Amino acid sequence: MSADLRAAVVPAPGLGQDAIAERRHGVRRRPASHLPRPARIGLYVFLVTAALLFLLPLYVMVATSIKPMEEIRLGNLFALPVKITLEPWAQAWRSACTGLECGGIRTGFMNSVAIVVPSTVLSILLGALNGYALSFWRPRGAQALFVILLTGAFIPYQVMMFPLIRSLAAMGLFGTLPGVVLIHTLFGMPVMTLLFRNYYAGVPHELFMAARIDGGGFWRIFVQLMLPMSLPIAVVAMIMQVTAIWNDFLIGLVFAGHDWLPMTVQLNNIINTTTGERLYNVNMAATLLTSLVPLTVYLVSGRWFVRGIAAGAVKG
Amino acid sequence: MNTQTNRLALAAALALGALTGAHAQANRAEVLHWWTSGGESAAVKVLAGAYTAAGGTWVDDAIAGGEQARSEAVNRMVGGKPPTAAQFNTSKQFLDLIDQGMLNDVDVVAARNNWDKILPAPILNSIKIKGHFYAVPVDIHMPAWFWYSKPAFAKAGIAAEPKTPDEFFADLDKLKAAGIVPLAFGGQPWQEKVTFYAWLAHVGGPDMYLKLYRDKDAAMVMSPQFKAFLTSFKRLKNYVDAGSPNRNWNDATAMVISGKAGVQIMGDWAKGEFAGAHQTAGKEFGCFPGFGPKSPYLVAGDVFVFPKISDPAQVKSQQLLATVFTAPATQVAFSNKKGSIPIRTDVDLKGLDPCAQLGVTIMKDVSRQLPTPEMLVTPDLEGALQDVITKFWNTNESADDAAKAMAAALKNG
Amino acid sequence: MAATVLWVYVGSVLWSMRISVSSSRTLPIGDFVGFKQYARLFDSERWTLSLQNMALFGGLFIVACLAIGFLLAVFIDQRVRGEGVLRTIFLYPYAMSFVATGLVWQWMLNPELGLQSTVRGWGLAGFTFDWIVRQDAVMYAIVIAAVWQACGLVMALMLAGLRGIDESLWMAARIDGIPPWRVYASIVLPMLGPSFGTAFVLLSVSVVKVFDVVVAMTQGGPGLASEVPAKFIIDNLLVRANIGLASAASTVLLLTVLALLAPWFYARARASRNGERAARALRASAPQESAA
Repeated sequence: MSADLRAAVVPAPGLGQDAIAERRHGVRRRPASHLPRPARIGLYVFLVTAALLFLLPLYVMVATSIKPMEEIRLGNLFALPVKITLEPWAQAWRSACTGLECGGIRTGFMNSVAIVVPSTVLSILLGALNGYALSFWRPRGAQALFVILLTGAFIPYQVMMFPLIRSLAAMGLFGTLPGVVLIHTLFGMPVMTLLFRNYYAGVPHELFMAARIDGGGFWRIFVQLMLPMSLPIAVVAMIMQVTAIWNDFLIGLVFAGHDWLPMTVQLNNIINTTTGERLYNVNMAATLLTSLVPLTVYLVSGRWFVRGIAAGAVKG
Repeated sequence: MNTQTNRLALAAALALGALTGAHAQANRAEVLHWWTSGGESAAVKVLAGAYTAAGGTWVDDAIAGGEQARSEAVNRMVGGKPPTAAQFNTSKQFLDLIDQGMLNDVDVVAARNNWDKILPAPILNSIKIKGHFYAVPVDIHMPAWFWYSKPAFAKAGIAAEPKTPDEFFADLDKLKAAGIVPLAFGGQPWQEKVTFYAWLAHVGGPDMYLKLYRDKDAAMVMSPQFKAFLTSFKRLKNYVDAGSPNRNWNDATAMVISGKAGVQIMGDWAKGEFAGAHQTAGKEFGCFPGFGPKSPYLVAGDVFVFPKISDPAQVKSQQLLATVFTAPATQVAFSNKKGSIPIRTDVDLKGLDPCAQLGVTIMKDVSRQLPTPEMLVTPDLEGALQDVITKFWNTNESADDAAKAMAAALKNG
Repeated sequence: MAATVLWVYVGSVLWSMRISVSSSRTLPIGDFVGFKQYARLFDSERWTLSLQNMALFGGLFIVACLAIGFLLAVFIDQRVRGEGVLRTIFLYPYAMSFVATGLVWQWMLNPELGLQSTVRGWGLAGFTFDWIVRQDAVMYAIVIAAVWQACGLVMALMLAGLRGIDESLWMAARIDGIPPWRVYASIVLPMLGPSFGTAFVLLSVSVVKVFDVVVAMTQGGPGLASEVPAKFIIDNLLVRANIGLASAASTVLLLTVLALLAPWFYARARASRNGERAARALRASAPQESAA
């Protein structure tokens, strides 16, 4: 019985030599250009124009965030700031009012981290487990279960609030950190399972059969063979989950309880108001600050993101 | 020093420490509200300060957005972790909660402080259900003030505030001729609704207003007088600018602040925006509460309800909150920061700004008090009427069809 | 695991269906009023309009995101310089919540405040771009903002799919003298079928749940013109204290989604069953591989 089931690694079909070389040596060979020179110029023009269009709202946000309110009231949206002030950024971080306290979004930062990290890890693990079970073990009713899971992704959260609240309260988890992590994990399951299931569908069945012949059981194959292979898709899943959970407002508000309110609640308190005054520069600064975390995650793992899905996650 | 005295002093200090330690979490109250902007936060500080001074511990639960906060309050009650007090509007929003037995009453505090005598009738009718007091009012807001830019009026040659609707339209025409946007407007459904019932109260008159909202009189809605009123309401649309749809109310106020627009019909919370721009009433901007000396004063406001908790310590906190919130000193300080007027007229006017002082004076005339629609109809019916109003405002629907739609909504509601 | 999933999703849906035949307002009540809520729902002009808007939005949004995402991916794949920067530029909208970005779009598309007035200020007096304040065009404005936010993710999905295509394919095509555009049209596009499939599912979920962008940009206005089903449901849940009606609406929405997805699920189930049968047959006829 071979101890290491990974010895039988065979690259997934559809992967070219390029990608294999990439994986083995970390070398990235770009495809040679297929287009003549004038077309390349047109290409750059298109890309740069598109990029500028995409950046336009960001420009407005940044410009608004460094203007004083008097300038903003004049309503010249695209004008460069006459007077630049970084005060809104400082306010957004530490002194914007979010209720009785005026502590900015800083107060919820650690709570958000405490919610995002376990939720992401758990939902990815469970998604991988589900995808693995659905792809290889095909238990009875697996397809039906997958359909139910996927349909569940279409339901707006608010509809499920009351029954979930009552259930969690019955378990004593309402308003606790484990409670909110549980809910995030549950709501992340459909998409996570979809990602991993499609990824594993690209892994040849022979590999799995070989491992079974070698004497591997459900858990052993999962831990020793599938998980290590899933690094690329796990990174993709991490990016999607971190973005979704970091920016989530409703679930954190309802289920985290007073002690664990995430940053998005403070962000909402700063931006949203019924009849109070609106400080648009602080609002923009607060939004930009909050989005720095997912953006950093993209930048850091951007390379794997692209490479990850290459490995077959997207097979339909 | 004498060791005997030392030991005594030490014992006393320890005892005192134990006592204050015990008091540190005494009267702990978790208060859920939606006051999160800078000005509102200052107002909450007044309430929290007063509560702490009375021996309580304030735990703040702020959630921006009224619907969000109210929904969260209900969620917490359902989940078994209710806040000690939750903010609602003076309205019918919490009637279902009372019906389901989910609220504590504060009859004890009401009796002790004579709420029956000192509170105005519209508020009493909202908080006293089936003979019990289920909410404590904290402020009165008036959603139907007129705010105008003095420089803009000067430029258009308007010498005095209009005293009748016709004078108002004439003034709007003058503003238009001077190249100023006559009416600063934010085309969001709730703002259209507020403008509608403000116009109904000021121009249609309190009788028509009450027939619609209190009596739900579908026959009145189909009458030629009401249809004429609908036409008059739609006439206002000629005076708003093309960019008005979707606009936030603050952006409309900003137009008045900068003199780009002449008038805005908005609640007294607009004072916060003027204050933020360092403008003062009477100097850069003016305010008037309606047309003529008997114009109705619409009464809206905020209350706190008390979820049903059996723990006697929590009940004590709830009652302490109710007492503190309605104390005259708290009321004046709070109103000052909030831009509202106190719920009782037996207070010292000195601390309030000119517009608020005018409001308090008007409130003393009971005949001018008019409850806002949310005190008279359920949120569902108010929403249905809002749909009719927003369609009428934004399309070319005739007054006839709008009246028919409104009558249908009243019959279903 | 299966039990949890079933209890959460199926349980919630069943509960919601139960409430939809009651007269629940702020809180759930257990009475039974038959189909009164559904009758009210179908009578509601707002609900009908929201479904129409969702269909219009969905069609435009999905097609635009797939097309633009694909094009961006193809162009970035052409060995361009600064690929990392470009990729981040197209992805950053995805990182931001719509509450603030929606307001920025509202300002930018507002005729008095945004693009129309700026371009007119440059001298083009006749330039009009006031979709967001027009009843008949506001959904197009919302599509623009939504596409801006979502097509970065689609681009990344497509890019990854493209990167998985073997270099030898291109070399063979060049040897054969096939022009690049034909390679893309006849070979690459079909190979990217799975990428399109996943992107389609993710985009469809966004379409059905679209809420934030509408609330942040137009609050459903002007009038009722940009109403969408999720907003109708949430308004009735939270603001109008009408849980019964909201549950009826969400049940109808779910059934609509199921009806649209059922053919696709069925096709996939059949394909996978066929694929399994074929694979089993193949394995049976192929020589046995020895385990290492």
